Amino acid sequence: MRGISKSFPGVRALDGVSLTLGRGEVLALTGENGAGKSTLIKILGGAQPPDAGEILIDGRPVRFASVRDAKRAGIALIHQELMLAPNLDVAGNIFLGNEARPLGLASVLRRGATRRAAAELLLRVGLQHGPDTPVARLTVGEMQMVEIAKALALRARIIIMDEPTSSLTAGESQKLFQIIRQLQADGIAVIYISHRMEEVLDLADRVTVLRDGRHVGDLARGEATHGKIVALMVGRELAANYFPPRPAVPPAEPVLVVKDLLVPGAPAPVSFTAARGEILGFAGLVGSGRTELMQALFGAVPALAGTIELEGRAFLPRRPQDAIARGVYLAPEDRKRHGLVLPMTIVQNVSLPAIGGQGWGWLDRGREQRTAEVEVARFRVKTPSVRRQVVNLSGGNQQKVVLGKWLALTPRVLILDEPTRGIDVGAKAEIYGHMARLAAEGLTILMVSSEMEEVLGMSDRVVVMRERRLAGILGRAEASPRAVAALMTGGQEASPAA
Amino acid sequence: MRRELGMLVALVLLCLGLWLSNGDFLGASNVVNTTRQVSMLGVFAIGISFVIITGGIDLSIGSVIGLTGVLVARLCGQYYAENPAAGGLGYPWWVGVPVALGVAALIGLAQGLLITRLNLQPFIVTLGGMLLLRGVSQTVVKGGTLSLGDVPLARLANGGLFGSEGNALLPYPFLILLAVAALGTYLLHFTVFGRYLYAIGGNREAAEYSGIPVKRVETLAYVISALTGGVAGLCYAAYIGQMSQQVGIAYELYAIAAAVLGGVSLRGGEGTVLGAVIGSCIMRVIDNGINMFQWMYRDASGVRRIFRLDNNWTYIIIGAVILVAVILDQAAHLVESKRRTRRAAASQGG
Repeated sequence: MRGISKSFPGVRALDGVSLTLGRGEVLALTGENGAGKSTLIKILGGAQPPDAGEILIDGRPVRFASVRDAKRAGIALIHQELMLAPNLDVAGNIFLGNEARPLGLASVLRRGATRRAAAELLLRVGLQHGPDTPVARLTVGEMQMVEIAKALALRARIIIMDEPTSSLTAGESQKLFQIIRQLQADGIAVIYISHRMEEVLDLADRVTVLRDGRHVGDLARGEATHGKIVALMVGRELAANYFPPRPAVPPAEPVLVVKDLLVPGAPAPVSFTAARGEILGFAGLVGSGRTELMQALFGAVPALAGTIELEGRAFLPRRPQDAIARGVYLAPEDRKRHGLVLPMTIVQNVSLPAIGGQGWGWLDRGREQRTAEVEVARFRVKTPSVRRQVVNLSGGNQQKVVLGKWLALTPRVLILDEPTRGIDVGAKAEIYGHMARLAAEGLTILMVSSEMEEVLGMSDRVVVMRERRLAGILGRAEASPRAVAALMTGGQEASPAA
Repeated sequence: MRRELGMLVALVLLCLGLWLSNGDFLGASNVVNTTRQVSMLGVFAIGISFVIITGGIDLSIGSVIGLTGVLVARLCGQYYAENPAAGGLGYPWWVGVPVALGVAALIGLAQGLLITRLNLQPFIVTLGGMLLLRGVSQTVVKGGTLSLGDVPLARLANGGLFGSEGNALLPYPFLILLAVAALGTYLLHFTVFGRYLYAIGGNREAAEYSGIPVKRVETLAYVISALTGGVAGLCYAAYIGQMSQQVGIAYELYAIAAAVLGGVSLRGGEGTVLGAVIGSCIMRVIDNGINMFQWMYRDASGVRRIFRLDNNWTYIIIGAVILVAVILDQAAHLVESKRRTRRAAASQGG
């Protein structure tokens, strides 16, 4: 890939990125959230066309108009969220879209041949189930193997894996690594995207690092170290003052007391407290149950059992309205899906939770405009007008609108789920500044974050979750990257839950 | 508003063209009659827009029109002692009208509750409602027709302000449309309730996460839709005078088409009352225009002839107009998002 660029509304996702890949090579692609990894592989996989640049295979330029084109050229992409049809069996999934069809869509499905071919591929990836097992009955790790078998069925020469271990157990991950080495021995090149440094260092022949849509470095197997990769990933903008200094919170009365709260889908109840002016960080891997816990506290997916006390009074939200009435607000992880009405204007989004206060009658447009202007000024949202549709704003500015919408009311507890996901560095620092100021003013903040630096840089205490359970609570002094990571992954250093 | 303006221009051009081809198009009787048709369609096109703006659909509105019409004819129609089955029970209008509208509102409430409380799809619930209510109408008329006869209610459609009876300058349905449009504009564009409708259509989950009582607002949208169907049903009963089970069949499709033509998007979250009214005008003017359009020419031997459109072309033309309108709408959306991407690239790259 040479000089690839791509822009989206509000973001320049890739800026002249080049990438090379040798036969049978395992290339690790790393970078922070929003560095452009996903966009790059989508372009390589044919899911999106580049704005500029070209792709060469064996020295010949190729153009992919669709995923189908890319597959035909031998490039298979395995998404982070697996793309299998749960209602079909394993064999059906492996050959989905790749069925033998001499008669076009009218061809008869050749089940026998498909089953035999599938069984052979399953042997190669080491899956213990038969080809007619329904996919819905497999574990995530097993589904991953079906995806790899699917890639092999296409005779793929390049397999791209996007965060393949993010929802795998340690054992499943080991198995995956074996398969990857097997693929490598067969001459298949693998692009491996991961945040986990040990995996990257263990597997990759070469590490390519992206930052803010640019290619910032290539490290060969010998020279790659954890420290070098992280230095490239975060760059020099990340000075020590990136996170605002925060005084230690004196022990205060807990504002929020969560006791034995059973979240739907969780194997065990959780308990914790949060004090006035505290920022309580929630660390964990993707799928560790943090978002679900926040949704229970907000009433979006009500808890099944347990008690919550808010400022000394019982609080059990059955729906978001209940939480909002008590001043518990959520800035959700997926702000485009849960946080904003994209076709509406900034004014309309900011006022949405507030306008119902006086009933459903006449809408005071002057007032909502003034409120929005206050919030836009407070958060320094970059926009020519408060009457602009939020779909036209960049990710950072959209997040500021979400925050503005809640701060226009009177928050008691603010829940921030991945507050800086997909946001550029400058806006990130601003959001951290606002969080620190709000906490200093006495607001309690619960922050879910998958970025270790963010969790450690902002939190007074860190709640670590693993497999939908509370794995431990660490104070600021004990919360080292190593200690948090150990609790997250279930390593040796795990201490009993506080 | 740009969409509404565009359709308004299209409407004016359409009228101008028809007037040039046939001067009678702007004759008093044709204008009054077309206004009446536009008005009756406009009333329930506005109602269905409330539902479409939330991202839903109401297929039952045509059957609601039929049922309220039949009910009011049964209750308020003239009593014929010699043949009671052909007429009504002779109750005064102030009994029949509230009962018919009450039934319509209850139908909307029932459908709204099914959709929001049981999480059923609006399409299937209102499809069921459409068939079920049609069947109820059939049992009321018992397969025949009900004559409204000479009762005050019958003047609802043909009477009006200014001018002679039966040919009033401002027929009552037009006044009703004005009232419904004014109320609809107030609700949709000037109240919190209206804002909630747009928010739900724009992003239901974000609306829920913002603390909006989504289910209650959505249910109300279906009540409003059915109520406007009820109002239209009264007008049609008075206009036709003879209610059979056939009245109102496929009207939901006319209403949806009118709303979409006027810029109410089936994606949800988009549209205005004015747009629904303009869309209704276009639908009815096209309908009327197919009858009115003529073209004088001389054939090869120099004899003057008049070309007229075949009535059988009605559906073909209306269908084509709707498709062209949605294609243009989609194209406009595409251009908009392209421009957005370019602007973003320019601002970031610099």
